[in-house]
Amino acid sequence: MTGAQQTRRAADERLRRAVRPEKPFNWFRLVVTVAVVAGFLLATSTVDAHWGRLPEAPAQLWNILGLMIGELALADLPDALASMWESVAIAWLGTMIAAVLSFPLAFLAARNIAGPGTVVVTRQLLNIPRAIPEIIFAVALIPIFGLGPLAGTVAIGLSSTGTIGKLSAEIIEGCERGPIEAADAAGASKPQRVRWAVIPQVMPEIVAFWLYRFEINIRASAVLGVVGAGGIGTMLQQSIEFRQWGQAGMALIVVIVVTIVIDAASGAIRRRIIRGPSS
Amino acid sequence: MSSRQPGLTRPRRPRPSPFAAAGLVGLAAVTVLAGADWEYGIGFSLVEIWDGLTRANAPMRGLADIDLGTLLGSRARSGFLETLQMAVVGTVTGATAALPLALLNSRLGAPNRAGYVAVKLFNNIIRAVPDLLWALLFVAAVGVGVLPGILALFFFSLGVVTKLTSDTIDGIDHGPVEAARAGGASHPQMLRYAVLPQVLPAYTAFSMYCFELNLRASAVLGFVGAGGIGAVIDFYRGQGQWDRVWGVVAGFLVVVIIVERISALVRRRLL
Repeated sequence: MTGAQQTRRAADERLRRAVRPEKPFNWFRLVVTVAVVAGFLLATSTVDAHWGRLPEAPAQLWNILGLMIGELALADLPDALASMWESVAIAWLGTMIAAVLSFPLAFLAARNIAGPGTVVVTRQLLNIPRAIPEIIFAVALIPIFGLGPLAGTVAIGLSSTGTIGKLSAEIIEGCERGPIEAADAAGASKPQRVRWAVIPQVMPEIVAFWLYRFEINIRASAVLGVVGAGGIGTMLQQSIEFRQWGQAGMALIVVIVVTIVIDAASGAIRRRIIRGPSS
Repeated sequence: MSSRQPGLTRPRRPRPSPFAAAGLVGLAAVTVLAGADWEYGIGFSLVEIWDGLTRANAPMRGLADIDLGTLLGSRARSGFLETLQMAVVGTVTGATAALPLALLNSRLGAPNRAGYVAVKLFNNIIRAVPDLLWALLFVAAVGVGVLPGILALFFFSLGVVTKLTSDTIDGIDHGPVEAARAGGASHPQMLRYAVLPQVLPAYTAFSMYCFELNLRASAVLGFVGAGGIGAVIDFYRGQGQWDRVWGVVAGFLVVVIIVERISALVRRRLL
């Protein structure tokens, strides 16, 4: 027997005797998996959905898509673009309202700026609009402002205030202590400290988040018209309801293209704001 | 008197970059165009907002004597149950379908360049369609009820979870990937043993986040006939019973906040 064979035999022998380490048992994963599967089965079996209609859904959707493309007419394009512009305007102005409302609230909700009592109260205040969808704000505002874009704008503004305020507060809490201490050491008052030590640090990130929220708000304002709060939603809802598939298709294409284009543009601006001019 | 030392001048303030200046001018122009009262503006006016909010109106009177007893009624209870069921079924199916799609949607997981571009385009289109619009389409396709709501949430979840997960996949540690390739793993084996274990916690967290989104979304699907608590809110709104509308909304608020707390706890444990 050569030496090489011997070594090999020994290695084989060790491999045979080797015990594979047991996989660590993860209770957490088991509990989550069981809960999800059980919840899913329970919900599927108890929900009052007409599952029998599910198999025909793909064919129907395909049929509708075919009609949308088949009946597409360029004559609908100007209308669709004008309504989509209204949706973009609603999203933009709504985001501006939210930015203005949330900016002071964000400082009151940041633990390193405001006292603990103020923080708790402000955070709860910000939680409420965060949980309520824009459409619900819109239906409540329509009796006040009448059907039209103003109700939608205010709805978007109020409901985004919660999210923007919370995120801005978190950005403010994450700012560096150094400049604050320096401002303190130079004898800055509390407002001066915020103005010169905190705002310059957090502004790029907060503005980037405003833009991000604008992207989300376009999706929201595109459907506000379903309840009559302005924008392209009205056109979508009516053309689908009256089965004018060509018009619905044009509106859908405009929504998708404009959303993707604005996402791309806004994303590029956000990256530029965060990274700065050099890179 | 002056404390300024000779020869020491204050540094000049840097001029705003052309990028920032052009951006600000552009944004101001968009704002004016969008807000002005002309053919293509929405006629934004603070006066009108103030007048509207200070004038007596039905929704606010309803808010003042909010009727929480509505929550105990059978209509509200079945609405809440339906919303939960829709959110669970929509999220679980959507998130499950999103995992393979997310692998294909990442540079690492896509088998080739063409497939990557096609999947990315598909995902961008899915994500550009808002939840309520999916519901409108499916109500037209399969009729009113819970089914179009579930289908809408399925596609909405598919878009969100795919996007978030594929972004995570693009950012993972490449060490295990190289190790798997060096060990002779096939492409699917590499995905299974080098990529999946790294992204699974984030994927689970995104799915839970998506559940919260779906819960919120399912409150509005009812406005277009896709079932859930939105149908109940729309019903009371149609009757002008704002006290009941706010009662249901308050109950919904509590449900959302509780689910958010639980989900935040689990997510913190995961990540």
